[in-house]
Amino acid sequence: MQFMFKSTHFKRDFNRWSIFLLAIVFFIALPIIAIFIKLFGGPGETWSHLVRNVLTSYISNSLYLIIVCGILTVLFGVSSAWFVSRYKFPFQKYLEWLLILPLAIPSYITAYAFAGLFDYGGSLELLFKQIAIQIPKLDIMNIHGLALILSVSLYPYVYVASRAFFLHQSANLIEVSKLLGVGEFKTFFKLLLPMARPAIVGGLVLVLMEVLNDYGAAKYFGVSTFTTGIFRSWFALEEPETAVYLAALLVAIIFGLLLLEKYQRRKISYSNSVKSERKQQKIALSNSQKWLVFSWVSIPVILGFILPVLQLIYWATLTYKEVFTSDFFTIAMQSLGIAILAAIGTVFVAICLIYFTKWNRIPFIGNLSKISVLGYAIPGAVIAVGVMIPTLTLDKWMIGVAKNFTSESIGLIINGSIIGLTYAYIVRFLAVAYNPIEATSLKIGNALPESSKMLGIGNIRTFFKIEFPLLKKGILSAMLLVFVDVMKELPLTLILKPYNVQTLAVKAYEFASDELIMEASIPSLFIIFTGILPVIFLNKLIID
Amino acid sequence: MEILQIKKLSKSFDRGKTNVLNEIDFSIMKGSIVSFVGESGSGKTTLIRMIAGLERSDSGEIYLNENLVSSNKSFVKPEKRNIGMVFQEYALFPHMTVAKNIAYGLHQDKKEAKNRIAEVLELVGLKGFEERYPHELSGGQQQRVALARAIAPKPELLILDEPFSNLDAMLRIQLRNEIFEIVKKTGITAIFVTHDTQDALAVSDEILILKHGNLIQKADAETLYKFPKNLYVASLFGEVLPLQKEILEQFHYQVEENKQYAIRNKNLKISENLPYKSLAKIANTTFLGENYQLKLALNNEQFFQVYTKEKLDVETVSIGFEKEDLLVF
Repeated sequence: MQFMFKSTHFKRDFNRWSIFLLAIVFFIALPIIAIFIKLFGGPGETWSHLVRNVLTSYISNSLYLIIVCGILTVLFGVSSAWFVSRYKFPFQKYLEWLLILPLAIPSYITAYAFAGLFDYGGSLELLFKQIAIQIPKLDIMNIHGLALILSVSLYPYVYVASRAFFLHQSANLIEVSKLLGVGEFKTFFKLLLPMARPAIVGGLVLVLMEVLNDYGAAKYFGVSTFTTGIFRSWFALEEPETAVYLAALLVAIIFGLLLLEKYQRRKISYSNSVKSERKQQKIALSNSQKWLVFSWVSIPVILGFILPVLQLIYWATLTYKEVFTSDFFTIAMQSLGIAILAAIGTVFVAICLIYFTKWNRIPFIGNLSKISVLGYAIPGAVIAVGVMIPTLTLDKWMIGVAKNFTSESIGLIINGSIIGLTYAYIVRFLAVAYNPIEATSLKIGNALPESSKMLGIGNIRTFFKIEFPLLKKGILSAMLLVFVDVMKELPLTLILKPYNVQTLAVKAYEFASDELIMEASIPSLFIIFTGILPVIFLNKLIID
Repeated sequence: MEILQIKKLSKSFDRGKTNVLNEIDFSIMKGSIVSFVGESGSGKTTLIRMIAGLERSDSGEIYLNENLVSSNKSFVKPEKRNIGMVFQEYALFPHMTVAKNIAYGLHQDKKEAKNRIAEVLELVGLKGFEERYPHELSGGQQQRVALARAIAPKPELLILDEPFSNLDAMLRIQLRNEIFEIVKKTGITAIFVTHDTQDALAVSDEILILKHGNLIQKADAETLYKFPKNLYVASLFGEVLPLQKEILEQFHYQVEENKQYAIRNKNLKISENLPYKSLAKIANTTFLGENYQLKLALNNEQFFQVYTKEKLDVETVSIGFEKEDLLVF
């Protein structure tokens, strides 16, 4: 009955936007579809060896990282968010945004810097020697060190999400709790923490995605994870089939995490219902208390931002003469060019996705569009593998066709080209562009475009005359966010970049892999510099 | 001539779980002003959005000027329907001046458009406001620009979706009268959506009452007041007291089987000289400054209020009503 009911309207409601929307969804989902189709081809020869010997270590290492990073990021993120939004203490205003800055440093760069800090003869040892203190050698080039580094570079996701919650939390609620005779400590743990849970878990899921996405740091520290396994099977063992199996397994784990997040969110829906009309007064602390809080909140900033940046600057002073060459300038330009191209492409697809969804009248097809923004959850290495499969197939087909006309081979066209790379960036970062644009579009609301239609103007002209001018801010922020993400991106770029093109991220990685870690500092500092821009911007957005 | 015909129009949300409109049937004559009255959730907004083409029906048909514009198989887009709409939140384009807002719907050459803009601005009393931006206008002025913009292209039908709900009471009545004067001047057919019965009574030729997605009654104001179809319609125009069979018998009124009775509170009067009367006990008296409010009991369950100029120092009073004041459904 239900189906018949729908099919009677299908002819009336199916329009060209439905077709375009389906096309975009297919375009975005293709890499993942390709991976799952490839699964039916059976695993490679080394798969059984891999299952017997290393798969357990991939799984246990990834699980260990998820658990430890999960605990540490929540500890750092939630506690500092609570302290800066509730209490007055020294430098509280500065720490409030300094706490976000580790987001500007990709974790592989933090890893390089930490290696330099703690290495035998590293900066910390030298520094303490100056004041005649012998510090015990600390070996951080292992999975525990990796967990710490990932945590101090990723906790801002939890910090940002929970601070937004605490800031917008009604002052009345805390006051009511106090009037009911519940103390500060208990109010936090019994009332606010449970209420903040959806926000915290939302940030935590982003942390875990990034942990599973990491390639550079794990590779540098010699820790085997799914991502390094995918690289190893594809490039060292030359077995794409095995890489595909690992990728599929990783995707399954991630969808498990996403489902958990969705489940916990469904159970608690009251968190957004309380909007603060009155700002909370920050509480003054006693002298010893305030320095204690200051010290605690400073720890993640020092570890996640100040120490790595100082280390990189120190290295940069030693190596800038060798690194600053015309080659470096070319690489920086290529990096910028690729990031701008990807930002424009991604924003374009995001706008199409949002508006085609609006103009499509078939609910089923509209729901499909939600799949398209899942790319952000899928690690870069997996997307790279997924993009390679269909682009290689298409290239082979084109070579075959070309052979019929000319005797010469035309070589691979899309694979290993800027087109393939941009495609992969769009798939991976679509959500990054989608969210700010959709938020702005929701703010514009339906009444304006509807008024336009009532005045006789169709969808496309309404978009250009009414919505686009009002969307500009959202589009700009979307471009900025994608731009920076592309500048930082490593694993996907490593796999798909054209051989004659370099990016700053790849250059830093190559220096580090070639034991030229000091030289890696300058491209790293460039990446950090571009990364700081949207962090400041993001911070403003939350306070507003 | 009928400008709008609605036939068995139905709509549900959540895949058929919530019925918003149930087989609505009615038509509107050219040149009339018709109010759609109903509480939130009555389906009135969905109904006008379907007429405008902003929403699609599950079943049923809509005809505009005898042309089919919506059915199960066909659908004319909103931009092709030549319907003007004034939205609740005005929906003026914030990045355009008043003149540009009005010019937006005018698909003619510049000079003609300019003349038309001047003409409609004069009509709504905003001459000289061409170059202002929406944020520079007051709520009432924005509303008038929204009206000017909607009528500028000379639509066949004008829909006003709760246009006064964002205004305070004083401004609301003033603006309501102004706006409908303009609408009447243009002779345009208009649908006015409101949840306020007084607004509807003040301006419309006909009123259409909706409840829970059903069309309860469609009639002119006087008919609705005098011959409401049920207690709900009656209660839209003031306090109504349902009268049970036993109570009517107390008044010596001959009741018919299968009928429901009610009376408007104000038609139940303290008097000895009414054809149907009964004694009522004074339950309590409250002094309200200008008058006294008496709470009277007809029996142990049913109470109602009457107002008197003077305090009554008795335990019971005689109350009664005229035959034509009794509402029978």
